[in-house]
Amino acid sequence: MPDWLRRHRGLVPYLFLVPGGLWLILFFVVPLITTASVALQEGSLGTGYRLTFNFDVFPDAITRWNVQLVRSLEYGLIVTALTMLIGYPMAYTIAFRGGRYKNILLLLVIMPFFTSFIIRTISWKFILADQGFVLGTLKDIGVLDQSFRLLATPVAVISGITYNFLPFVVLPLYVALERIDPRVVEAAADLYASRFQAFLRVTLPLSISGVFAASLLSFIPAVGDYLNAELLGSRNETMIGNVIQRLYLVNNDYPQASALSLILMLGILVSVFVYRRVLRGQELTV
Amino acid sequence: MTTHRTRTTLVILGLCLALILAACGIEPEDSAGPTSSVDPGDSGATDSAAPSETAVGGGEPEDELNFANWPLYIDQDDDGNSPTIQQFEESTGVDVTYTEAIEDNNSFFGTIQPALEAGDDTGYDIIVMTDWMIGNMARLGYLEPIDVERDVQNFVENADPAYLERTYDPGNQYSVPWQSGITGIGYNPELVDEEITSLSQLFDPEFIQKYCGQIGMFTEMRDSMSFALLYNGVTPSEATIEDAEAAQQVLLDQAPCVRDYYGNEFAQSLADGSLAITMAWSGDVFQLKLEEENADLQFVVPDEGGILWTDNMAIPKGAAHPNAALEMMNYAYDPEVAAQLAEYINYISPVPTAKDIILQHVEEAETGEDADYLRAVAESPLVFPTEEMLDNLYSYKVLDEEEERQWNELFNEVVQG
Repeated sequence: MPDWLRRHRGLVPYLFLVPGGLWLILFFVVPLITTASVALQEGSLGTGYRLTFNFDVFPDAITRWNVQLVRSLEYGLIVTALTMLIGYPMAYTIAFRGGRYKNILLLLVIMPFFTSFIIRTISWKFILADQGFVLGTLKDIGVLDQSFRLLATPVAVISGITYNFLPFVVLPLYVALERIDPRVVEAAADLYASRFQAFLRVTLPLSISGVFAASLLSFIPAVGDYLNAELLGSRNETMIGNVIQRLYLVNNDYPQASALSLILMLGILVSVFVYRRVLRGQELTV
Repeated sequence: MTTHRTRTTLVILGLCLALILAACGIEPEDSAGPTSSVDPGDSGATDSAAPSETAVGGGEPEDELNFANWPLYIDQDDDGNSPTIQQFEESTGVDVTYTEAIEDNNSFFGTIQPALEAGDDTGYDIIVMTDWMIGNMARLGYLEPIDVERDVQNFVENADPAYLERTYDPGNQYSVPWQSGITGIGYNPELVDEEITSLSQLFDPEFIQKYCGQIGMFTEMRDSMSFALLYNGVTPSEATIEDAEAAQQVLLDQAPCVRDYYGNEFAQSLADGSLAITMAWSGDVFQLKLEEENADLQFVVPDEGGILWTDNMAIPKGAAHPNAALEMMNYAYDPEVAAQLAEYINYISPVPTAKDIILQHVEEAETGEDADYLRAVAESPLVFPTEEMLDNLYSYKVLDEEEERQWNELFNEVVQG
């Protein structure tokens, strides 16, 4: 260790932060500021954009796209609830009942990641096609009405997002649950807690950090997702991600697209903040 | 503690401000319109809009050529190489870098626009853009003018006469066609009871009730809007903003029964039975029909008319190898080469005599399978359309910037609610 560093030992932890910090400045802070700057510009690709500090773009974008903004938050919440309902029991079982199969079970959870998620979502499109082998067969044997369809419905889009983000929920929940010492649960039983009470008062509160992380990892990408709505939905399931994508790449309307991206970020930030407050209160009362 | 935190916040805020200011210092200069005079040392960018400019070319081909095209838009052998490109390299000694860089007119334009605006070389010597985009780019002074009489003689001699007069590029000043296609209606006779001949079978809210949820439309604004215009009896290239608003209403009335607004993937949904009636591109339906289980699928030009669009080769402003680019344009209009391309691409070739050459290839084919395929290509009205079909086709309107913004806004409401 060089002399000057020895003299300022307190600096060492900050030095460790430098690479990550630079990375964030380069790939997060700079683009964020550029985005903000583009949002306040006016013009078009042909004539060029000029910074005019047009703050009206924000209220305008919200008024124009409020349906899609609300729908995205709604889908995000539903997906988070669903992934939690499906993922918690899964993680619980793997953590407490997995035994020597734990690693194999975890591998199975991660397995879908071995293929690109675009490919997986397109496969859903094939499988669920109106005359595809699932619905086609069910229609032929008369279980379903001929006009029944799954694709291009909210059910398809929400299921698609849920499916794609489930592993993100299971892993942090597993980590949180796995850390819990089984003896504290036994202790609860010794103190005459029913199994349900033990779960509610011991296991669940101890895993709350995992629940928090897991729900963020599904909520945030779910709200911004556009692929599932694009492939499995129709105009009635358009999410804000689709709007931003079209504004950027098809219409070349960079200011409005940037404004919407910022609004989306802010919306997510606020929801996360509120959620944290609620959850923290929960922790104290349980 | 508090003061420390305040100080950090202040530093961060200061940094942000500095960066924002830096950003506004650069942006306008970077992207100022052609009217601004900031471009010292580069006269090309400022006087580019003048129509009386001298054409590039007239010299020996350079030893390199960078060609940007759409995916699956050139012949390909089993190793993934293009025989056309290889033969061109052999006969001219030009080293060609062929990239499938173009997925979409607007997004590709977005990637090369900054270089064009700054008067720099985009890195491409030939780009292939759809007709309306050629019109836009020519207006902005982003394309090198060419002299087809002098440098692309094969085009003058062999192109279908219809291609010598194009509304988006009068006088063939900037481009020559690569391939064309028809936007029409595709349908699946297994799911549809009657023969589809009219746009009313795509738009009439009462008729489509029967096929509600099985109707497909295109996410390309120009295609879908032009179809609605034709349904209203308006010639797309002459549409006013009022016409566009009326067209939007047609699309909105139809929307509840539309399954989705598709790009290239419409073909899959038509093939797998999710769509009964859909807007369709001729080449895709032709390729679907080659597979036995899809042989029944139909493609029609509706009575009210369809759209003939053309993708064109053009030389972006400031290209480093314009002579090689012109050589390639000329080469593509050699009937032998045009036939070779048509056999693979299955869209409409701009060279009508290519048909005879393909029929000749049928005779020479080594296997029956090859012969059947080649005959199907040569005889298909989707690759070599009949006079009757061509008479009933219209082109897109070349929109100026303000119109494009308005039309986009109208159409966004249709596709995204």
